[in-house]
Amino acid sequence: MTVGPMFDEWYPVGIFGQLDAAGRKTMLMGEPIVVARDDNGDAKVTDGTGRSLPVCVRYGHVWTSLGDPKKKLFAIPEADQPGRRFVDVGVVRVRCSPLRAVENFLDIAHFPFVHTDILGAEPHTEVQAYKVEIREDVDEVWATQVEFYQPQAAKSASGGITTQYMYRVAGPTSTVLYKTCPPRPSEWDVITLFVQPLAEDLCDVWPWMALFDDDTPMTDLIHFQQTIFLQDRSILENQVPRLLPLDPGMEMPTRADLTSVAYRRWLKRHNFTYGAQLVAQ
Amino acid sequence: MTGSWVPVALSSDLPSGTVLPARIPAGPLALWRSQSGRVAASADRCPHRGMSLSHGFVRGETLSCIYHGWSYGQAGNCLRIPAHPGLTPPEAIRTVTHPVAEADGVVWVAVGEPAATPPGLAGLVPLRSITAFVDIAAIEAAAGAKATAEGLLDAGDIRLLLSSTREGETLIHVLIAADAGPAERIAAARTAEALRRRAEDIQKKGAAQ
Amino acid sequence: MMKLYDYILSPSCYKVRLMAALTGTTLDLRAVDFHPGLEHRGPELLALNPAGSIPILEDGDVLLTESSAMLVYLAAKAAPDWLAGSDAKEAARVQQWLSFSGRLTSSLGGARLHEMLLRPGDIGALQSSGIAALRELELGLVEQAERGQKFLAADRPTVADIACFPYVALAPDGGVSLDPYPAIRLWSRRLRSLPGFIEMPGIHRLHELKPEPQLEKSET
Repeated sequence: MTVGPMFDEWYPVGIFGQLDAAGRKTMLMGEPIVVARDDNGDAKVTDGTGRSLPVCVRYGHVWTSLGDPKKKLFAIPEADQPGRRFVDVGVVRVRCSPLRAVENFLDIAHFPFVHTDILGAEPHTEVQAYKVEIREDVDEVWATQVEFYQPQAAKSASGGITTQYMYRVAGPTSTVLYKTCPPRPSEWDVITLFVQPLAEDLCDVWPWMALFDDDTPMTDLIHFQQTIFLQDRSILENQVPRLLPLDPGMEMPTRADLTSVAYRRWLKRHNFTYGAQLVAQ
Repeated sequence: MTGSWVPVALSSDLPSGTVLPARIPAGPLALWRSQSGRVAASADRCPHRGMSLSHGFVRGETLSCIYHGWSYGQAGNCLRIPAHPGLTPPEAIRTVTHPVAEADGVVWVAVGEPAATPPGLAGLVPLRSITAFVDIAAIEAAAGAKATAEGLLDAGDIRLLLSSTREGETLIHVLIAADAGPAERIAAARTAEALRRRAEDIQKKGAAQ
Repeated sequence: MMKLYDYILSPSCYKVRLMAALTGTTLDLRAVDFHPGLEHRGPELLALNPAGSIPILEDGDVLLTESSAMLVYLAAKAAPDWLAGSDAKEAARVQQWLSFSGRLTSSLGGARLHEMLLRPGDIGALQSSGIAALRELELGLVEQAERGQKFLAADRPTVADIACFPYVALAPDGGVSLDPYPAIRLWSRRLRSLPGFIEMPGIHRLHELKPEPQLEKSET
């Protein structure tokens, strides 16, 4: 298996604030790498042969690439907005394709069944029509005007509300969610899922958030997001096949899945197929 | 006869309104019993996003996927997509199903085109099912006896119905006389564990050679 | 009010939350940043529990650091039915499974921490000792069924069931399949159907316990 064009993309490989000189031994697309701090306290990533890899520290995490990134890491302007709190949720390993992890994050229809009484609840299961596009100027997948009824949308929410969302695929394994911010209706909370592909069927997931919420203790914010992601994990580890099928005959989307359909199309267009199954087996 | 009946589970392990994972040579199954008591076997994969249906739930006469709540009938046809409550699901959305028969307290799934009814259990009743991480040959070696073509094995102190679930894994249904009392039944349950230990030792030693 | 130093993803903490929910006890939950913050190894919590483990339960002058003791404490205060009765066999069985639950923590719990939160460990050894423990539990439940009893120590649920349930139910998180254990499946379902039962991440709601809800026309 050659990695293909995904080789030259950026991937998260650790929380910058938790790195020490001893470093973190991990994998990136089958290659052993070490993520550490150098003598100046800067992040440093080396591969199995000792070669230094490109490094970028952003959104609480260290990012690297096995290849030669053609573009700078995608921008999240909210990360520089005063008043937000930044939450490093911590790593969770999942035995699934990194692409499946992203696709699940883009999905709202599972809320009533998987995140019951938190992000959704029967009988409020209907997914209203929303807009999906591939924005050619930035080369990103965007879903907008997404709405869903939620019993407890965020740690700062009390009681049910109809929550508005926007979804954004910023890289093959990086996705950003903009969501109704209960304390500040004019702003969006930012919740991301950064996925480190360890292998085609194994990934480390690094959720990160930039929220307007001055009241909730940091630990509660972390635990809310860990709760949500751990509910997803038991789904992700039981999907068959483990790789994301790009063959349209293999799985059956509906209107509610238009974001996932666009994501798969965008992956195919770029030949981003590490973690994908191309032909039905 | 060009097929066979595979004993996938005991009837008592599948109460009304439940689903469990099972396995035939063609792959994993979601075996479920509706509220009214009807048993069905579906491929263990929701056609929507590939989620295992044996993780799902049974309401009334339908099996639903835990991921998005898509519901399926006995025949595998999709009946309901909660994200689109007004939509009648297209015929094309269905799971592969397999014929099921229930006899002598065992749930059997037809593979190919077997005889009209599953084989009998020689007047015995099933006690419990255990899984051994061995091939049938290792169980035969541990028991010092051969299984019949139907998978029945008489080990002297215990009688078994065997079914190979995949390479290196065998499902063992422990059988016992219908009139055995609790003490005898508990003893048989333990004897089966001892046989499994011997069989797994044999397989391990075989693998080490 | 009793105060529980709690981590939402810890099966041992969940035992105490679950027991409290089933017995109608209200807990004051103090969230501990176990992952990624390792707060349980910080000075504040080490002062309470030098072993550096959670949960920790505080109630006035009572300070408990072992989850089985917490289950007994909650039950004794709010619902003594959950404790062993005076029957010698029942009392012994409760104690047997309370002790046994420690093996589930070290095997299945260790595998789960390794596979999910990247904690060190010999994953093969953790998983195979977890399988051995699951097989013992399965046999225990089969024998109980022969005695006409639906739960681990009696025909009613006891603290023994709550001590064993969480690490068993979450075994797949550590890469250990629950498919081979029909008696465990039925027992787990019985526990999950109890009035007052609460989930934790990794244990889904039994949606079948509610009929398919209909949307009122006025709500649409």
